[in-house]
Amino acid sequence: MRRILIIDDEDDIREVAALSLESVAGWQVLTAASGADGIRTAQAERPDAILMDVMMPAMDGPTTFREMQRSPDIAHIPVLLLTAKVQGVDQRRFAGLGVAGVLFKPFDPLTLAEQMANALGWRDDG
Amino acid sequence: MSMFMFDLCVVLAIALSIALVKLTRARRRNTRLTAELARAMRESSLHQTALQQRKQLDDLKDEFISTVSHELRTPLTSIRGALGLLSSGVLGKVDDKAANLLRIASTNTDRLVRLINDILDLERMESGRAPLQIRRCSLRELVSQSIETMSSMAHNAAVTLEAIPEPAGTSITFDGDPDRIQQVLTNLLSNAIKFSPVGSSVRVLTGSDGSNLILQVEDSGRGVPPDKLETIFDRFGQVESNDARQKGGTGLGLAICRSIVTQHGGTIWAERNEASGKGRPGTTVIMRLPRHLASEQTSAAPEPPECAILVVDDDAIVRQIVGEHLRRNGYQVIETASGEAALHVAERQPVEAILLDLYMPGMSGWETIERLKKNPLTAQIPVVILSVLSPSSKSPEIPHLVATAQGWVQKPFNESLLLAELGRVLHPGSGPGRILLVEDDEDLATVVLSSFQNAETPLGMSIEHAASMAEAEEVCRKDPPDLLILDLTLPDGSGFALVDWLRRQPRLRTLPLVVYSGREVSESEMSRLRLGPTQFLTKARVEPRDVEDLVLAMVRHLHTPTPVTASA
Repeated sequence: MRRILIIDDEDDIREVAALSLESVAGWQVLTAASGADGIRTAQAERPDAILMDVMMPAMDGPTTFREMQRSPDIAHIPVLLLTAKVQGVDQRRFAGLGVAGVLFKPFDPLTLAEQMANALGWRDDG
Repeated sequence: MSMFMFDLCVVLAIALSIALVKLTRARRRNTRLTAELARAMRESSLHQTALQQRKQLDDLKDEFISTVSHELRTPLTSIRGALGLLSSGVLGKVDDKAANLLRIASTNTDRLVRLINDILDLERMESGRAPLQIRRCSLRELVSQSIETMSSMAHNAAVTLEAIPEPAGTSITFDGDPDRIQQVLTNLLSNAIKFSPVGSSVRVLTGSDGSNLILQVEDSGRGVPPDKLETIFDRFGQVESNDARQKGGTGLGLAICRSIVTQHGGTIWAERNEASGKGRPGTTVIMRLPRHLASEQTSAAPEPPECAILVVDDDAIVRQIVGEHLRRNGYQVIETASGEAALHVAERQPVEAILLDLYMPGMSGWETIERLKKNPLTAQIPVVILSVLSPSSKSPEIPHLVATAQGWVQKPFNESLLLAELGRVLHPGSGPGRILLVEDDEDLATVVLSSFQNAETPLGMSIEHAASMAEAEEVCRKDPPDLLILDLTLPDGSGFALVDWLRRQPRLRTLPLVVYSGREVSESEMSRLRLGPTQFLTKARVEPRDVEDLVLAMVRHLHTPTPVTASA
């Protein structure tokens, strides 16, 4: 079974996204409410992929991602950024970071898992 | 008193009075000039204040739009997610009435999201904050892409989409922003589908009258009343007040279309099919676009410097991807599918660098580079090999190729390494890496400078500091640096002015640049700030260590003595 870590400072969004991945795709979901907490959880739990918000207080998504890249034990875990910014330039900047993909808010809860699987190149349902 | 003395006195008296009159006049004029000068200075300072206020307002508006966009989407994400999960039934069956209510709530949330997107889009366009990204487009390609995008909506509405090119077989190209024109086409198609009866067809007719292209989207729907033909292009100017709710639109689609077309210097209007003798009811929306833009119409921001890169690969997909990456970063791109074509182009057009595939049918990359280097017209053009082969591969012909080519990017490649390698080749650094930090805040400059001194800097790398635009220009003129770190606000001019100046200097216009600013930089500002490989950082968002990492990575690419190999 796929294990996903969701990092978002918004409690409601964490809950909805977790519910969506659990009930639609049957994935196991871990959550963290900040970048720092996310890094600790990722190191302890080694999820298969990370879905992370861009705009977070303290440490934002891109900074957290770069921090993860510095940590050899979790640098290999694919990260998808979730953003409410829709301007093309933001998308390109995020994509330029080297993340596995960029998804947009508001997301469709019924296809979120599918969008993630497509971005991650997951063919089977794990 | 002798006569002589008397005369002398008279002359003196006259001279004195003339002098007095002159002096008084001069004084008066002086007073008037002083008053005028004071008034002019007051006016100028008022202008200055007005300009500053205007700029502050623009900045505020920018920030407001960006914040609103984010703040509204955040709660909508939770609402949309929760409703979507509930109404889908994946969490358990709900009864029909409740399911219907959830469906209503869900559909309307979607509409609200579209509305927010459209309002922000329109706002950005009309304030000039979304400059057009002009390139050569193929009309047929854009039409077929748009039809493909809308095909599932058409299928659900049982409407057929037909593209009717005219005259048959010719392909029309034009200069425009392909994303924006495609937005117009999908908007027009979506409208036409919404108002088309089941089983009917929507036709897209294309043609040209020489200097303009003409595109018509023709439906056989209920038709727009003659008095509404113009108002439908207004914001929320639907024919029936409840159309937006019933048809799921936002009421802004045609206003956005008109805004985009006007930005391109074109016109868009609607006609009733009966009136134009089309023999079927319904409406035709007609768009007329100049195929070549007059220079002042291209965009508010100055065009990036002319910098044509020739991409040579027999694989159309590779050409497309590479071309897209490069154009997005401000390069002009010429694509050819064979070595023969590449030689032809390189001899006749200004080409700054060539990205060359090795395995091609006909003339291979090996032969192409040999011929390029033997021809005096093309020998100076730097060549970057773009191949699945590695430059460190053991094959006997590789070392010679490594020595002949100026750079190497291994497929599959990633965008940033491709750009870094191209930047390195276009801006060959000699000697140790020199970085110029342009920052007026002494404290901040000290922090950045010391972070570099502490960092594991590559051997011989040095960093210099300029506190003003004048100082920066002087350093650049004397000894061009290999990379510039630029703060946007400077005491004697903005970072924009410095970038404009750098763009005019042949040796500096492809200089790698890191823009380090106190606020988010808008998309239109980014396009005004690009030089060579350009990165944007916001002071509040990044730590000095990030700047340092980024700069070191860029410098390493600039000064890698052997070609860089990159894999995705």
